[in-house]
Amino acid sequence: MNTVVADITYRAMLGRKRIWLLILLPVALVALAALLRLINGHDEQTAVTLMKSFAIGTMLPLLGLIAGTGVIAPEIEDGTIIHLLSKPISRPVIAVTKFVVAASLVAVFAAVSTFAAAYLLTGSESGVATGFTLGALFGGIAYAAVFLLLGVLTRHAVAVGVIYALLWEGVVGGYVPGARKFSIQQWAQSLADQISSSPFFSSEVTLGFAVPAVVLVTVGAVVWTGQRLRSLSLTGDD
Amino acid sequence: MTTEPTAVIHDIGYRHYDGVRLGRGRATLALGVQSLRGVFGLGRTTRAKIMPLLLVAIMLMPTVVSIGVMALAKQYVMPYPGYAIFMQAVIAVFLAAQSPYLVAPDLRFRVLPLYLSRPLTVTDYVLAKLTALAIALFGLLAVPLTIQFVGELLVDLPGPPHTGDYLGALGGAVLFALLLSTVSIALASFTPRRGLGVAVVIAFFMFTAAVSTTFFAVLSVSGRDSVAPWALLLNPFFLVDSVQSALFGTAPATGEGYPSGIASCAILLAVIALAVTGVLLRYRKAAS
Repeated sequence: MNTVVADITYRAMLGRKRIWLLILLPVALVALAALLRLINGHDEQTAVTLMKSFAIGTMLPLLGLIAGTGVIAPEIEDGTIIHLLSKPISRPVIAVTKFVVAASLVAVFAAVSTFAAAYLLTGSESGVATGFTLGALFGGIAYAAVFLLLGVLTRHAVAVGVIYALLWEGVVGGYVPGARKFSIQQWAQSLADQISSSPFFSSEVTLGFAVPAVVLVTVGAVVWTGQRLRSLSLTGDD
Repeated sequence: MTTEPTAVIHDIGYRHYDGVRLGRGRATLALGVQSLRGVFGLGRTTRAKIMPLLLVAIMLMPTVVSIGVMALAKQYVMPYPGYAIFMQAVIAVFLAAQSPYLVAPDLRFRVLPLYLSRPLTVTDYVLAKLTALAIALFGLLAVPLTIQFVGELLVDLPGPPHTGDYLGALGGAVLFALLLSTVSIALASFTPRRGLGVAVVIAFFMFTAAVSTTFFAVLSVSGRDSVAPWALLLNPFFLVDSVQSALFGTAPATGEGYPSGIASCAILLAVIALAVTGVLLRYRKAAS
């Protein structure tokens, strides 16, 4: 963890157009929750639908994608990463720093808005708000780590990330039950299910699988990012 | 004393171009064709070909399965009009991955003035890019549909061939191409960074899909059945499907009815007009 690198990365993330996407999606979630509250009043089933399909299913992977690739991919694309890599800072430390920045951004934007939206719809009833907040927090951290790794592995990180989040988790996971075991989204839901006692919500993956999976994927992705940065080559691409 | 020339311009043999100058129309056509090839990775590096060819292969998979089922079980399993709705996630990924390629590099490397120093105008440039993506998307939808139709004719199912469905789906493919390509280009052209462009376009499609599903579910559950179908129209894919079923009489892919067809047509036209205006304004600004 290097505070100067973290500081520069925060400024790059929060000072550009990227921040609008980071802000717009959480604001849209809270606005939707407010609108649904106006239409339907307090309703636990609505809250669970909104949390599952929008907060965990759409906003979380998108925020993870924007933050995870945003902290490193533009620098690699511009070639300015060379200035960072030529400093006497070990590459794994750079990787960890970038991960901490991305994870903290996803955690703040995703978890806070998820809690606000769920609280607006259900209050503190049957733990829906706290459950989904916890799920969004850990799911977001895992997404940030995986998409950070993609950012150093390929120039088409965002497109590959979209294919994972949309086609694998969304479409393949919808038809093939086995694919759901290997989906960050499902792990986030099983964490949420652990706390919430809502009868409208049940997760498919057991907690005993989800927690080790989240930890393993996060740690593995960050370590691999560090290893990959040690031998990063800056070759041109179309 | 003789004065030696201190500087000399050597004639090193550059020659003028004396041939026919083909003008604005041909320049637009050339840009359009080059963009269309680029969408599928032709004329680019091998790495750039992987993504579009993979997505084209995925788009063909249901067709292959459907022809197989028709040949072996003699059953018409996948109706033509529902194909685009069924594959909407793949189409969204295709648009997100390829539309920033069309607009982002030119903005990022500031080469727009180079294009505009030729007879090409801003409108021609935008038109060429929009047409290229629209033709690419139409091809992506029409080729699998046509293969399936040819397969159906060859298999010779009992009963008449579903020619009406097929033609309706082709008409729908034109609408999909027009709406989705203008919207994608409009969103992608706002940022000169390709990665961010991909994120913006996919965020739009995922967001509209999630919002429309959520509202439809909530409104249906709470018994507001007259309002619920309007929520479906928030998703651009269902919007086109509703126009398709209104214009060509195909069955709605959702199994639910849509609100009146005239309203859907008006919304469709309004969104296309808004997107095209947005792109033109964006490029007026970028060019000046």
